[in-house]
Amino acid sequence: MTAIVSVRDLRKHYGDIEAVRGITFDVLEGEIFGLLGPNGAGKTTTVEILEGLRKADGGEAVVDGIDVSKDPARAKERVGVQLQQSAFPENFTAKETVELFALCYGVTVDAMALLQEVDLADKAGQRQEKLSGGQRQRLSIATALVNRPRVLFLDEPTTGLDPQARRNLWELVRGIRQAGTTVFLTTHYMDEAEVLCDRVAVMDHGQIIAMDAPRILITGLLGRGFSKPVIQQQANLEDVFLDLTGHELRED
Amino acid sequence: MRQALRLTLMYLRAYLRDRTAVFFSLVVPLMLLLIFGSLNLGAFGKVSLAIDDQANNTGSQAFISTLEKIDTLSVKHISADTALAQLKRTELDLLLVVPKDFAIASTRAGQPVPTLTMYGNDARPQQVSVGGSIINEVITKLSFAVNQSAPVVRLKQEDVQGVRLRYVDFLVPGILGVNVMQLAIFSVAFALVVDKRRGVLRRIMATPLKPATFLVSQVVTRLIMATLQVLIMLAVSVFLFDVHPVGGILPLLLVSLFGAVLFLTIGFALAGWAETENQVPAIAQLITLPQFFFSGVFFSKEAAPELIRPVTNLLPLTFLNDALREISVQGAGLWDVRGHLLGLLVWTIIGFALAVRFFRFDRF
Repeated sequence: MTAIVSVRDLRKHYGDIEAVRGITFDVLEGEIFGLLGPNGAGKTTTVEILEGLRKADGGEAVVDGIDVSKDPARAKERVGVQLQQSAFPENFTAKETVELFALCYGVTVDAMALLQEVDLADKAGQRQEKLSGGQRQRLSIATALVNRPRVLFLDEPTTGLDPQARRNLWELVRGIRQAGTTVFLTTHYMDEAEVLCDRVAVMDHGQIIAMDAPRILITGLLGRGFSKPVIQQQANLEDVFLDLTGHELRED
Repeated sequence: MRQALRLTLMYLRAYLRDRTAVFFSLVVPLMLLLIFGSLNLGAFGKVSLAIDDQANNTGSQAFISTLEKIDTLSVKHISADTALAQLKRTELDLLLVVPKDFAIASTRAGQPVPTLTMYGNDARPQQVSVGGSIINEVITKLSFAVNQSAPVVRLKQEDVQGVRLRYVDFLVPGILGVNVMQLAIFSVAFALVVDKRRGVLRRIMATPLKPATFLVSQVVTRLIMATLQVLIMLAVSVFLFDVHPVGGILPLLLVSLFGAVLFLTIGFALAGWAETENQVPAIAQLITLPQFFFSGVFFSKEAAPELIRPVTNLLPLTFLNDALREISVQGAGLWDVRGHLLGLLVWTIIGFALAVRFFRFDRF
């Protein structure tokens, strides 16, 4: 498989703080790639450079063959973006929000079909500010898909969502990958990365300290003699919660 | 271009849905107009008197200095021709022409005396009658001092047809100006600070949309609202208060929109500078409140203390209100108010520089 996102020795600092310290990695076409790390690790800065929102101080970032620092406008046409805070202009309905973003890309879309794709067709006429957190994240993904992007960037897509909404979003992301879009996401939920990502890179203090498939990273750790102090339970509290409350989305 | 137009229509639709925004841009201005329009402020005040002293001798100077000491009179020295024009525009209540042969000397009975001519603005009958009595009183006193009998000069009165300037005629252009200012500054500053803080602008900047296209749509949306606001207020003024904008509706609208552009630049600068929407009202009030009182909205800008008048005369809203008032009340054309428009232009350039400095897309 070929690399669709290619990052070489990328650097970015804010004043004295070195947010990204020369990272190098590739994202392969068609995979779900996760960039993991604690808050402040430099994930968002990295993503925002790839999205063309920030200028790197050094190194190279290529998305779908386009050097982002040289031609951010063209790079923006090829990617879909969901920012950490997904907010939209007020007094727009869900459908109008999708149409607004289509207009920003200079494309025409079937807004209803897109809303259908993210399971929001019944909320098309509702003001976006009245949507629930999970609904707004799905609307955000719909707006990120208006230009049929080659790569979809999702920055902490499930932060603040309840377990049902998280699982629903995972299904949505898998479906998008199935349809041929590469997905690049950041998260600090390890369970999310484990079930969703084909490969992950772990970032800390502006550097990538590990990168591989989640299974291989886990096997590697066990191989180094790691064992949990307690016996692994066959279920956890989240399983109990979902068993009691069901997998269906709770939204009003 | 098409993109900017469609974006504008989308934003306009959202704007009109926002009840608070509509309330502040259309209802509040109307309330201001209705409340102040039905008051009759500034009904009397001082009697403004112009004197053309053609004699300019010791006698005439003594006579005029006596008049100048009288509180009720506001005396200025201009030529009769200028004064007559001002009388017709009701910028003046009275004109007194002191003839060349004016003298304060004792006379014999039956001897002809110099004749002073007083031109009174018939649109201001109260002021004319009060001013006329004061002048007659002064003449009687002066005559008594030298003659102890008959007056040494005679006062002849003529009427000049002035525009009937009511308070509401004065008020309407000021109300137009102040509301254009409020709409432009507040609507942009509030909406865009909220959008900035919540990450909306950042999300839009993640699309290939050009910042200029976005800005054009924001500006045009507000200009359409300002047009709507001006037209509604003019309609109410004309049909409810019987105001007749002498210079025409179109120049008033054009100058209002010029003012709107100026205040929009300040709104953008403020939106760029403020971190949260809580900072907006404080700074916006700091900018607008002095202009509210000192730029001639509800009462003459001459009401500002003499000490700060050199400053208040240069405020952006002063230029806007002066231009609007001269067009509305005196029938001035755009060329006639070019001085005020130049003032607006200078402020627009300053505002634009501030907006460019503070409203930075790469910082969102």
